[in-house]
Amino acid sequence: MIRLEQVTKRYGDAVAVDGLTFEVPEGEVCVLIGPSGCGKTTTLRMINRLIEPTSGHIFVGDRDVMSVTPEELRRGLGYAIQSVGLFPHLSVAENIMTVPKLLKWDRKRMEERVEELLTLVGLPPEEYAGKYPRQLSGGEGQRVGVARALAADPPVLLMDEPFGAVDPLNRERLQTEFARIQRSLRKTVIFVTHDVDEAIRLADHIALMRDGRLQQYATPEEILDHPANKFVHDFMGADRALKRLGRVRVSEAMRTAVPSLSGGRSPQELSTRAACADTRFVYLTDADGRLEGWFDCHAVEIGTTAEDAVTLVDWRDDAVRPDTSLKEALSRMLGHGYRSIAVTDLTGHLLGDVAFSAVEAAMSDSDERMAAAHDAREGAASDEGSVPE
Amino acid sequence: MAMVTEVRPRGRIDRVAATGAVTALVGVAVLPFVVFRANRIVAGAPRSIMDAGPAGLMLLVFAAAALAAAAAPYLWPALTRRQPLALKLAAAGMFGSAAWSVGQAAVRLLAGATELARVSIGAGAWLALVGAAVVEFAADSQLERCWPRRATTVAALVAVACAALFGGMGQLSIVREYQSQASFFWLYVGQHLTLAGAGLAFGLLLGIPLAVASTRWRGVRDVTLGVVGVIQTVPSVALLGLLVIPLAAAGLPGIGSLPAIIALTLYSLLPIVRNTYIGLSEVDPAVVDAGRGMGMSSAQLLLRVEAPLALPLAIEGVRAAAVLVIGIAAITAFVGAGGLGVFVFLGIGQVADDLVLLGAVPIVVLALLADTGLRALAARAVSPGIRGGTT
Ligand SMILES: Nc1ncnc2c1ncn2[C@@H]1O[C@H](COP(=O)(O)OP(=O)(O)O)[C@@H](O)[C@H]1O
Ligand SMILES: [Mg+2]
Repeated sequence: MIRLEQVTKRYGDAVAVDGLTFEVPEGEVCVLIGPSGCGKTTTLRMINRLIEPTSGHIFVGDRDVMSVTPEELRRGLGYAIQSVGLFPHLSVAENIMTVPKLLKWDRKRMEERVEELLTLVGLPPEEYAGKYPRQLSGGEGQRVGVARALAADPPVLLMDEPFGAVDPLNRERLQTEFARIQRSLRKTVIFVTHDVDEAIRLADHIALMRDGRLQQYATPEEILDHPANKFVHDFMGADRALKRLGRVRVSEAMRTAVPSLSGGRSPQELSTRAACADTRFVYLTDADGRLEGWFDCHAVEIGTTAEDAVTLVDWRDDAVRPDTSLKEALSRMLGHGYRSIAVTDLTGHLLGDVAFSAVEAAMSDSDERMAAAHDAREGAASDEGSVPE
Repeated sequence: MAMVTEVRPRGRIDRVAATGAVTALVGVAVLPFVVFRANRIVAGAPRSIMDAGPAGLMLLVFAAAALAAAAAPYLWPALTRRQPLALKLAAAGMFGSAAWSVGQAAVRLLAGATELARVSIGAGAWLALVGAAVVEFAADSQLERCWPRRATTVAALVAVACAALFGGMGQLSIVREYQSQASFFWLYVGQHLTLAGAGLAFGLLLGIPLAVASTRWRGVRDVTLGVVGVIQTVPSVALLGLLVIPLAAAGLPGIGSLPAIIALTLYSLLPIVRNTYIGLSEVDPAVVDAGRGMGMSSAQLLLRVEAPLALPLAIEGVRAAAVLVIGIAAITAFVGAGGLGVFVFLGIGQVADDLVLLGAVPIVVLALLADTGLRALAARAVSPGIRGGTT
């Protein structure tokens, strides 16, 4: 649990953070969001005392952060930042061992931990442990940064735009992985971002700030449906139905029994073997069930050559994972011009697909769910009337 | 058997190697190869390479071979691939035969002369050695590190050593000077190393903390970098003179090794402080922030993160300081601190060139050794993660 009570930070006459009060329950992700310069970083860095508050109190667990030395405090709080800050002279393994070394773990335990963490963040240890940071891509560096923050298994993670510097595709993957890791580890996380979609996707609670003041502290659903004021409403954006898709996972809308064929891809053979009766597309996989492409029955019917009816794809780019958000799946479909998109596991095995219509259904579903939740809260909920739609 | 002729376009002449070979040839042809003196201090008579006999001819052949190898890509395009190795072999031959030639010239010229007669190395022979070094450099810059490259370097060293041991170089006046000064020579080498070593050690003891403090406090930085920079602009003889005043005020001797070591310490400060300071201040702030955020204390951050990252530049500074201090230690003989500078000053006083060389050549060798040693240290001590420049 992390609790801020009337926390204020002044620089001379300027107020960077102004009387901030909120509480993050154990095991939840709180996303701090707001325009640039609103005090997100300052807030985060006051929690691990890289910045000392001018006034107010911060509690981690039941302990006032001012009651321990900064070094001791920080060793118990994982810390990951946008610029990563990996130590360039140390290998990936040594980077991850930073805090365990400070805590004087024994060598064997540290090595086991490195393996465990690299596997957790999706980097094969035998390949990555000995690399140096300059040999890593941006996304790999971020993963190592997260692994390093998790090294000593701190109950709390502080993350300042940890995926801010990577390209959108990699960012989506990192978010998916973070969500997966968080589901199993249940850390108390404070996550700073300026990306609304990222916030909606990852947050249990969103703390929206402006000019050092808290504007609203609520769940993503609540903040989308009942913005506390015009600023919150405008900041979260108009496409709220679309935004909410960020919280639905592909696994909740996917079709699992999809027609597929493995092996032997001679087009003539395919057109005879493919069970084109009731579907237009038949997925093609290798002998292990890894997605390789699909076959368009319709194209054959209208007289295209069988060669042109086969589309070969790379599952890494042209399919989504079960825990990808529906919003991301939708944007991939639109980007590629597909009516549906294949779903594979982390190693490319075909699991099913998601159709455009399923996304639509999920959108109206979640609208209904929201409406139901809203009705249930009727009365308690406040000032919707004052918020311009 | 079918002949396979490789048709290659004409390549370019290796200009650097050609320059080296031509330097050697022209130097040997027009400048005195050795200088003969009836005794140690009379004016010398220039002698040509003809006095070296067959050894001299060999030197000319190797220099011509180097020139041919340099031009090979143009003259015989098919042989281009063999050029670097041919250059290395020619350079090794030039080194060996040049050393042998001066020895042979000495033996021949001294054969009928008195005990007092001297033969010293002339400008022509020096240019032959410089030319050989240029050819060697040109070849090395073409050749990857590999065993043939190392083998030919060793061959050159062996050739020079053989020439020195068996080729009559013992007859050269610089060796005669050494023989008559041997006990002083090693004493001065020891003093020289002690002075330079002490200057460097105090420079490190003072410079590293000053550099660290400079990264922490602006005021310290401005004063330190300013003062250290000004010291460097004071000529060494003037600095040694100026030191007399504060030393006298403190009741300490203004001559001897104390002022020498103080001066050397002061000179070593600039490269050490400046490089270490730059190395530390160029550490990525995100890296420092990450370290602090994970709970490193200032000391841990300095030792485990900042220092290893600043190491390449810091060692570079120490290397510059070491070479500088070994050179300036020659001048401290001026205030009676001893060292190899004594030979230089005595030799100048007596107009005995060879005595000057007996001091100067070992100073150059010491500086080269320090330079090589510290480069090797940098190659080992710097993490592979940041080796070769950018972090
Ligand atoms: N060291 C500092 N001195 C003065 N002002 C600062 C300092 N650090 C941050 N600020 C100001 O505090 C405000 C909040 O900064 P920050 O927390 O970094 O914003 P965010 O992370 O939300 O973009 C900004 O207006 C910034 O200019
Ligand atoms: Mg920020």
